[in-house]
Amino acid sequence: MTLPTLYNFDLDDHCYRLRLTASICGVDLDILNINTFPGHDHLAPDYLLKNPLGRVPTLEHDGLILRETAAIQTYIAALSKNKSFVPESLVEQAAMTDWMIFADRDLASASAARATALLDVPGDGPALTATARKMLQIMEDHMTRQRVLGKAFFVANTVTLADLALFPAFALSRDFSIDHDAFPALRRWARQLRTVDGFITMPGIPDYH
Amino acid sequence: MTMTGWIPLSLSHDIEAGSSAGAVLNGAEVVVWRDTDGRPHIWEDRCPHRGMKLSFGFVRGDHIACLYHGWEFGETGQCQKIPAHPDLEVPKSICAQTYSVAEAAGMIWVHTPLETTEANTSPSPSAPTSRVAHCVRSLYLDVPLERALAALPAAFGASVKVENSVASINAPLVDLHIGLHPVTDTQCALHITAEGQPDTAVLLDILARAEKLRGSLEAELETAR
Repeated sequence: MTLPTLYNFDLDDHCYRLRLTASICGVDLDILNINTFPGHDHLAPDYLLKNPLGRVPTLEHDGLILRETAAIQTYIAALSKNKSFVPESLVEQAAMTDWMIFADRDLASASAARATALLDVPGDGPALTATARKMLQIMEDHMTRQRVLGKAFFVANTVTLADLALFPAFALSRDFSIDHDAFPALRRWARQLRTVDGFITMPGIPDYH
Repeated sequence: MTMTGWIPLSLSHDIEAGSSAGAVLNGAEVVVWRDTDGRPHIWEDRCPHRGMKLSFGFVRGDHIACLYHGWEFGETGQCQKIPAHPDLEVPKSICAQTYSVAEAAGMIWVHTPLETTEANTSPSPSAPTSRVAHCVRSLYLDVPLERALAALPAAFGASVKVENSVASINAPLVDLHIGLHPVTDTQCALHITAEGQPDTAVLLDILARAEKLRGSLEAELETAR
């Protein structure tokens, strides 16, 4: 069977989310690098055939093409022999999906703030950072409550896809001038996540901590 | 609000053994870290080599190491190891700035004005109660400390007594002791602890009140703009 191909850019937070998911799930990917910055290869005609939205990541496997990060995460988890990253309980599955959509829609402010700061993407940096800070505060409030309830992760007491979806925005927040001082519950959660087998970093997230 | 003496910068349970975090006190950046034996340290958040924040670094044993070049500093602040020069006996003059630190009442405190342990002769911070302190949460607010303090009675439904950088509140369900931490002229942190071993429902109620407090102060800020 062929490996799934991930069209990837190493500095993109969504692409990292998928490399992290695949590594923790123990799923091998064929990684094909697209030079989006400074090359703009995501706008090349051949790439637009794969993903007319003109962005990374894209996943291609046996004729299937997926463009949304949450959908690709779910697909990678389905290929994994380890089924623990998607909870069996429907209630927990719903909570997991809720946070994955939050990661894609609401944390888009964090991705955009970072892209504006680092990758020359036009945008109102201070406004995006202010919104992203609000989103991290929502995550901090949730993990503060989870601690009282005796749960180490966003949905359960074990890692689910939700944690892997939310981790990059927090871990990379210093790239867009948000320090970790005011987020003790997220610091604790991030330290826990780093101990999970298969955890990997990306540029901007130190190996040592 | 200018305060001197012992000021709490973190809840005890938020700085785990072998970890570090940044904190700001009246605009000064410090690193709060715990060695692997669990002893707390508060230093200037600056590596003497290139000025990198030590809070970005990592703790190994009783040393904190800078993320840039791995220079390691022991508990007196003195540099113990420079990985690029493994055979070098590190000059005594290479030293990080340490401050006077204490742990009491579920919080980690620094003495102000910021000074070295040797220079500080004042007694340790006094706990507001002999009962055990349960760490609840640190609430970071975009308002000056005076403004947050003024909002506490309404938020927790009881009067507030302030002593030694702690606001004590006999709330209906639980006694609270809140560490008062001025971050900058426009930001502050409240380090919330509860007396005894409150049950989950009580803790969730405190968290809800804390979030509502932040919400109401933010709404006020919006109106003022």
